[in-house]
Amino acid sequence: MPKTVQYRDGAVIYFQGENAADKIYLLQSGNVTLHYQDIETGEHISDPVQSGEFFGVKAALGRYPEEENAIVVRETTIMIFSVPEFEQLVGSNIRIIMKMLKIFSKQLRRVHRQTANIMEKEGYDPKNPEQGLFNVGEYYLKNKRFPQAQYIFGRYLTYYPSGVNAGKAASNLQIMRTESSTADSPAATEVPGVKRKSSIGQVVAEEAGSATAKAYYDAVSCISQGKFQDAFMTLKKILDDAADPEYMAKSSFEIGRCLFMMNKFDECIQHFTIMLTSYPKHPNLPDALFFIANSHELRGKKDMAEVFYTKILSMVPDGDNPVNKKAKKALTALGKT
Amino acid sequence: MATLIPDLSMFSRFARTFQPGEMIFSEFEPGDAFYLIQEGRVELVKVIGDVEKTLDILQPNEMFGEMAILENSPRSATAIALDTVLVLEFNRKNFDILISGNPQIALKLLKTFAKRLYDSKRKFMILTLEEPEARIADVFLMLEEGQTDIDRTTDRREFQATVDDIAHWAAMGVAEAREIITHFVAQRRMELFNDKIVVKNINDFSRFVSSRRRQLV
Repeated sequence: MPKTVQYRDGAVIYFQGENAADKIYLLQSGNVTLHYQDIETGEHISDPVQSGEFFGVKAALGRYPEEENAIVVRETTIMIFSVPEFEQLVGSNIRIIMKMLKIFSKQLRRVHRQTANIMEKEGYDPKNPEQGLFNVGEYYLKNKRFPQAQYIFGRYLTYYPSGVNAGKAASNLQIMRTESSTADSPAATEVPGVKRKSSIGQVVAEEAGSATAKAYYDAVSCISQGKFQDAFMTLKKILDDAADPEYMAKSSFEIGRCLFMMNKFDECIQHFTIMLTSYPKHPNLPDALFFIANSHELRGKKDMAEVFYTKILSMVPDGDNPVNKKAKKALTALGKT
Repeated sequence: MATLIPDLSMFSRFARTFQPGEMIFSEFEPGDAFYLIQEGRVELVKVIGDVEKTLDILQPNEMFGEMAILENSPRSATAIALDTVLVLEFNRKNFDILISGNPQIALKLLKTFAKRLYDSKRKFMILTLEEPEARIADVFLMLEEGQTDIDRTTDRREFQATVDDIAHWAAMGVAEAREIITHFVAQRRMELFNDKIVVKNINDFSRFVSSRRRQLV
């Protein structure tokens, strides 16, 4: 059972640094002030406790030394809980916990902000998350931790497809993908089966080309039947095999379409953004932009969608062009015309 | 797990697995999910310039990513799977459902916050020291505070840490940290092994750090 204890003016409930804190206090009546020093400035801070407020919670829950001096200012009544008693009390009252959670979260933010301030002085800029994310990616790339770098550049392109570092992020991704595909499968550059039939270079190329073409059209056929996953796998293989630049470019566009059809909007945006950088003259560029815009819209990012729909109109000013019509219609639906 | 958080079976559809080294999220990403570790360990790091600083290594039953949910802000650290990690991934809406329906989880989160607040403050205290030597010494003091079941009747302390680890905690370059540690070794205040670092007199470090800290006030 929690104990009720009376304190006189000037009494110390606990001292800062007192070890193995295991009590939680609830101010019932009177006046208590918490005294401590700001970590950064050393400034003395006094926080009065409000009636009905708990104190000593963090130290007791975390089993840490007390963080402040708790001093009684006038005749005061305090209820003292053990940790299990406190847990029992708040366990049935989610409202108290949520309130404390928000206070703790705010305090944690404050420490993080102070930490960031110090780091900022040492060349760290938390105010620009876009540049920050890119820099973290560069760190992992520089240290040859490719999976981490790939993840970050991929996310960068998802969040900032037209960001200042988008081109660099896309080319970093391309380089890493090429490196990893050659490293993972030594036979990746060979087209299995067909290629081994002939030893004459020209014939090999043509045969490989026709095999690639066949695979590509099979994939397109799968798309028309709604078998997006199958199509995706085939197209991905065409890209990885890197046997025919023409079909690689074509496949790249179709992969983006598959991702869109499979509702993988983040990946769709990311994929098309890389495609734009790899194939700046791709014949399906406006359509790719349309998929990017549409993906943003479906993810609830209407501002981004508007940017891309507008970009399509500037790229394809011809009002009779289907993609121009689609973009105009989408903008109208967004209430932006 | 079951004793702490009894009714999670309804959340099994939120289970996700990450392979060792796989990134769960990166610092600066917009955050819309928080995680509850079921199996494996997760490392929280921050990249500052050329240095990757370890903030924490989280164990099963611990949560992370909740700050972005509570405060709608970008991720403040990067989370990487150390082992094969199994997590439950919740979005903002599920967070409210989870918390209001499970006081035990809310209480657990409250405890996590208490611990994390204390740890963050302690790590921040290291950074407030301007002198790099004092920072390094304070890292050892912090690690010492976290050691349990050790003989505190002597002044000698052993740490299962590498120079890289120490550099991470002190938020400085490995080269700089190595130089300072080598200097401590030359002064015979420390011994450096492949798998451990020995501080010969921890109280000497404690006096050194508190003398530097006092100048701040």
